[in-house]
Amino acid sequence: MSVETAAPSGKQVARRRRFFSRQDKITLGFFIGIPTFLHVALVWFPAIATIGLSFTYWTGIRLEDITWAGLANYENIFFNTPIFWDALRNNTIWILWFFFIATPLGVLLAYQIDREIRGHKLYQSAYFLPVVLSLAVTGIIWNFLLRPDGFVNGLLGLPISEAISFFGDERYNIWVIMIMASWRHIGYIMLLYLAGLKAVDGALREAATIDGATEWQTFRKVVFPAMKPVNIIVIVITIIESLRAFDMVYIIYGSSGGMPILGVLVFNNIAGEGASMKGAAYAVILFLLSIVPIITYLQQQFKDDVR
Amino acid sequence: MLNKISGHEVDRRLLLKGAAAGGLGIAGATMLAGCASDSGPVTFGVRTVDESPMAQAQAIVDAYTAKTGIEVTPNFTESNAFQNNLSQYLQGTPDDAFQWMAGYRMQFFADQGLLVDISDVWDEIGDQFSDSYKIASTGSDGNQYFLPQSWYPWGLHFRKSMMAEIGLNPEDIYNWDDMMAALEELKGQGLIGLASADKGGWEAMGTFDILNARINGYQFHVDLLAGREKWTDDKVKEVFRHWEMLLPYMNTNVLDLEWDGAMQLLLQRQAGLFMNGSWFGANFLEQSQEDYDDLWIVPFPEINPDHGRDTIDAPLDGIAVAANGSNDAGAKEFVKFAASIEGVEAQLSTGIPLTSANNLQDTSAYDPFQKQQLAVMGEAKYITQFLDRDTRPDFAGPVVGPAFQDWFRDPSNVDSILESMQSQWDALPPL
Repeated sequence: MSVETAAPSGKQVARRRRFFSRQDKITLGFFIGIPTFLHVALVWFPAIATIGLSFTYWTGIRLEDITWAGLANYENIFFNTPIFWDALRNNTIWILWFFFIATPLGVLLAYQIDREIRGHKLYQSAYFLPVVLSLAVTGIIWNFLLRPDGFVNGLLGLPISEAISFFGDERYNIWVIMIMASWRHIGYIMLLYLAGLKAVDGALREAATIDGATEWQTFRKVVFPAMKPVNIIVIVITIIESLRAFDMVYIIYGSSGGMPILGVLVFNNIAGEGASMKGAAYAVILFLLSIVPIITYLQQQFKDDVR
Repeated sequence: MLNKISGHEVDRRLLLKGAAAGGLGIAGATMLAGCASDSGPVTFGVRTVDESPMAQAQAIVDAYTAKTGIEVTPNFTESNAFQNNLSQYLQGTPDDAFQWMAGYRMQFFADQGLLVDISDVWDEIGDQFSDSYKIASTGSDGNQYFLPQSWYPWGLHFRKSMMAEIGLNPEDIYNWDDMMAALEELKGQGLIGLASADKGGWEAMGTFDILNARINGYQFHVDLLAGREKWTDDKVKEVFRHWEMLLPYMNTNVLDLEWDGAMQLLLQRQAGLFMNGSWFGANFLEQSQEDYDDLWIVPFPEINPDHGRDTIDAPLDGIAVAANGSNDAGAKEFVKFAASIEGVEAQLSTGIPLTSANNLQDTSAYDPFQKQQLAVMGEAKYITQFLDRDTRPDFAGPVVGPAFQDWFRDPSNVDSILESMQSQWDALPPL
């Protein structure tokens, strides 16, 4: 956009604004002011306060007890807390698994269902069903299935002492959690992608077929690029879902260190009697980890659009 | 800068209060109705949703209402959720009186001004409690903030019938060698020697406490938890060396079981011994009288003859008054009743076994299992509460719990685990 075109449109807006009556202004003020106030009060204040507090020592109770800690909480996390690195590793596995396995599977399912393969209605409902459930409920269901006195061990006839330690054995518990999380994530991605695929003009695909493109070529060169807005959403959702993971793990392990992930560490260090602003520092780290890749990615995308 | 932060913080705290109120499901209507008079209704936060302790709490409430005509509303919350929310709960609109634990965990909240000084109640009924209980109920300013209601010992539990079948007499397990021989015998029978759990992150602390006290003595244990001794000390490594010797006799899924899972191993006769607090006797009784009568406890064996069996973890549970409650005077009257012999009698009327903290309780009416608990307790010279009640809360939960779990994953890592525990202790903010 050039400056010349921008200026008149600005004037137009200014002229149009004069047509607002007093009442319009009051109404607008309410409709914009209240949500803005709520947003600032409920999102920005706590967020900025958390960042500030991450540089302090505080038990979270009396305001006069806040003391300045500088970078001590961060030093403590990076140099003294091995569980932080365990959590980071688990979140990394989570993100990689979602990126390379769960999300592509969701896309594949969406593609197959879009092609209306036999029984696609059934598949669609079956895969979508878990999305209706919150992650906490997902955790409760799988906990019933897999805990030592749960359904699966019962089916195998194993007493508690010999039960397969699905959640306790560190050789595979992360993969058990990954499967549980994917159970829901795949359906979610499938739904998003399916909606996108439905919107792709059928003529594009037809043209590709006429030009002799294979199914894979059609998807990669024609459908996939046409789906760009959806792709962005899917990638952002995949990153956010992997980093904000909390509820399912909390349901199964509680706030103990059974399967450390960043979300649980934040909670563990900011809630309850053990509260310290180390939890705030974890929250800031988690926030940076989530926001940086997303902003970078989005910037990249918008730059491409401008070009 | 600090001003700015505290300015924002007010909003954040209000939010937390709202969240706590919502999360705990406090009976708002009753709170509003409660006025600050002696006779006003009282709310009572109960940190359990288990059958037996709920019945006991309800019995106290009913007896108090019957005696005084004052309405008391109990609010039951699951114990872990109650603990996690406690600081928000106490800062918000808490119940007037609530159940809690003695020692460090009480002092912490008393120091923050969230509990009401109930020294005057102690003046009235203090003679019903022993001096050590008074100490455990005293805040760092010398006033009392807590009234003890019940206690339970941590020790080795077993089923008498199982041991008789095998031909073992656990009463004879006096020292470490006896213990190892017994475990070997149990293993030979295809049983788990020592049922263990640590999924919750706290269950194994009881085993650490007793091993440390047996090997290094009460004073070292207390000093270690207070930060006057180092976790990297060879004495602590010795504790883990002994603990490691127990591992082959434990169930393999320690990190997959919470305390009640390990209890199931004993209940279902899959395990011989179970190191835990005796509170789970109530769970056995819920199963059947037969199971309860079969349950027995002995002290953890001697390891270092210098210390014998002189220490025991025997946590005190009780009741306190919340400073932000709406009816302090009414709550004081209620806690006085609840902890006094009248409250004990109300609980006993339910028929659920209770080892109360009240001296006036007639211990001759104890059932055999309770008498044995008393005997186990009586053998000890020093009483500790429990690791997570005897050390800083920001150390016990976020540091010790995960560290012990890490150790179960790979016991050979003990050196680096202890080093990291010490460096995390050193990094704690000054109190």
